[in-house]
Amino acid sequence: MPKCTINGKSIEVKPGTTIIQAFKEAGEEIAHYCWHPALSVAGVCRLCMVQIEGQPKLQIACNTVVADNMVITNKSEPVKDAVRWGMDFHLINHPLDCPICDQAGECGLQEQYMRYGQYDPEMAEPKQKKHKVIDLGPTVVLDSERCILCSRCVRFTEEVTKTNELGIFNRGDRSEIGTFHNKPLNNNYSYNTIDICPVGALTSKDFRFRQRVWYLKEARSICTGCSTGCNVNVYFNEEGTWRVKPVQNDKVNGYWMCDKGRDVYKFTNLPVRLTSGKTGSKDNWNLLEAGALAKDVGATIRAAARSGADKIALVITGQYSNEDYDALFQFFSVGLGVQNIYHWINNPEDMNGFDGLLFRGDRNPNTKGLVARLEKYGVKTKWLDLEDKIKAHDLTHIVIAGPENHSVFPDLETKLRLFDQVPNVVWLSAGKSVAVDGLTAVTTQIPMKTFIEKDGTYTNYAGLEQKVKRGTTIVAGALTLEEAVHLMSGEELDMNMRPLPPKYLKTNFLVHKGGPL
Amino acid sequence: MTSTFQLSEEGAAFVKRELNRYEDRHSAIIPALYRVQKENNGWVSPESVTYLSHLMDLPESEIEEVLRFYTMFNTKPVGRHHVQVCCNISCAMNGGRELADRLCQEFDVHDGEISGDGRFTISRVECLGACDKAPMMQVNDTFCEGLTEEKAIEILREMK
Repeated sequence: MPKCTINGKSIEVKPGTTIIQAFKEAGEEIAHYCWHPALSVAGVCRLCMVQIEGQPKLQIACNTVVADNMVITNKSEPVKDAVRWGMDFHLINHPLDCPICDQAGECGLQEQYMRYGQYDPEMAEPKQKKHKVIDLGPTVVLDSERCILCSRCVRFTEEVTKTNELGIFNRGDRSEIGTFHNKPLNNNYSYNTIDICPVGALTSKDFRFRQRVWYLKEARSICTGCSTGCNVNVYFNEEGTWRVKPVQNDKVNGYWMCDKGRDVYKFTNLPVRLTSGKTGSKDNWNLLEAGALAKDVGATIRAAARSGADKIALVITGQYSNEDYDALFQFFSVGLGVQNIYHWINNPEDMNGFDGLLFRGDRNPNTKGLVARLEKYGVKTKWLDLEDKIKAHDLTHIVIAGPENHSVFPDLETKLRLFDQVPNVVWLSAGKSVAVDGLTAVTTQIPMKTFIEKDGTYTNYAGLEQKVKRGTTIVAGALTLEEAVHLMSGEELDMNMRPLPPKYLKTNFLVHKGGPL
Repeated sequence: MTSTFQLSEEGAAFVKRELNRYEDRHSAIIPALYRVQKENNGWVSPESVTYLSHLMDLPESEIEEVLRFYTMFNTKPVGRHHVQVCCNISCAMNGGRELADRLCQEFDVHDGEISGDGRFTISRVECLGACDKAPMMQVNDTFCEGLTEEKAIEILREMK
């Protein structure tokens, strides 16, 4: 194991470690653009310069392997000077359009200029003009003038997705990123190129010009778009959620997430949410507070269970947390003795699908957790049994722990037509739905909270349990499934059970963590 | 995408041979592009890049990167004869730029464009490596050295 000294710190690294990796291990800062831990070494940005004792010239840290007893520093004057010059060259043709640039606030150039640059520019010649607002496909917009040609996105399509859409065309100061013959960049991982772009050259069609990043708060969560459970940050403000970005977790998703998962924030926002409890049937709905409604419907169900639990059915989707399921099973299976518990599988055909990288056909975050609980409580029912029972009019009540994310339930309307044949329907879901509003049975709709609004544990496809903390509240009147079940069982809800809001909600929202505006 | 361009049998065999000749398959891109340019009337079309990508089992973007990097590959159609007039230092000192202008005037064509009758594309290029016999031009694959304006016009007049 080679030992080296980095900025005076002595560390031991694995053989083959590059200097930049050793810097990261030692927790030392180092300037860099083109190097990315999950991509190959390009060595094109020339910013990660370091001085190695005994070597006359500066070396790039990303492509130099640590040798035994190396003494490395990036705090010396020659290194600082080289980095300043490197920055100057990068910014020769870079437009100073930060005020209208979407990347401002999370831009590598801004950050590293403030940290390592701060020189007086000496460039007197006019800037090279390049193409702007190039439509690269359904997700990405390219601004060539802002690009510093670090080639991270090119290496991403080459090495990670292996789709090779992007390339660097022309040469010298006319070099530009692009696709062959304007073919669209349309793989399922294209948003990652935007994340790894250190400047504002690649911007997201979904997010650009919608929010300034410094007005957004972030909350660590997981993506509930499929059973992989990629770790993400959800970005939100008081108006709702705006985007998700992947967070590194080598056990689950590495550094990436898929484009389909980027949409998970969309079903948490107000326009598509069920914001209040509803009772009634087609064209005749009474709005009620969710908690009161849960208590009422709970009393009805308990009364019905006393005259025969076999007339009650419970349908569960794989969209809730383990805690939610535990409460649900505790009440229905143990408390009421309901045997008719069914697993609503939204896409049975490609349930085991996998694209080889991250995306899985099972578009539920917690199918594994649900299946484990079905086994634990000895539920061995089949979906066809439910259909038979409904057709035979054996049921009086059906409780459906419905989907959070309606878009991944293509069979929603078909299934609702089936449930509509039961006289009393209890529909628990986060999203509003025209199909549910059209039910003719006596229906109770109780609004649910989404994954970003509650604490919970989700079990991913591999059985890994991931704990998620509450990030924000979008629909204050909604309940978690756990809370709804508590109320249905006749207990009062202890409000202390709810976690206290994070500190920033009590302070002026417009005070950014970096300081007052 | 179905490609309309295809190399001749010998051409395809040549590309296959080049692929095995180098350690890295990418090294065969330049010879392959030369071959395509030769068989495709002096330029490399997007369809031919797609064709090469299938033939060589390399991504289109990587072939395009090479194609757009080097100036000796034409990405636009050229005339029957591609005339490249050197305007680099030795030739420029001996009247290379004036020669290029004169030829454009004589054959009524703009720099880098195809003449009306489809005979010529005249383009100014950088050093072709014949500085000792400046000024010079390259007509298709042939060097014409030690030129005067009249001599050059005479050479081109004879080309049909």
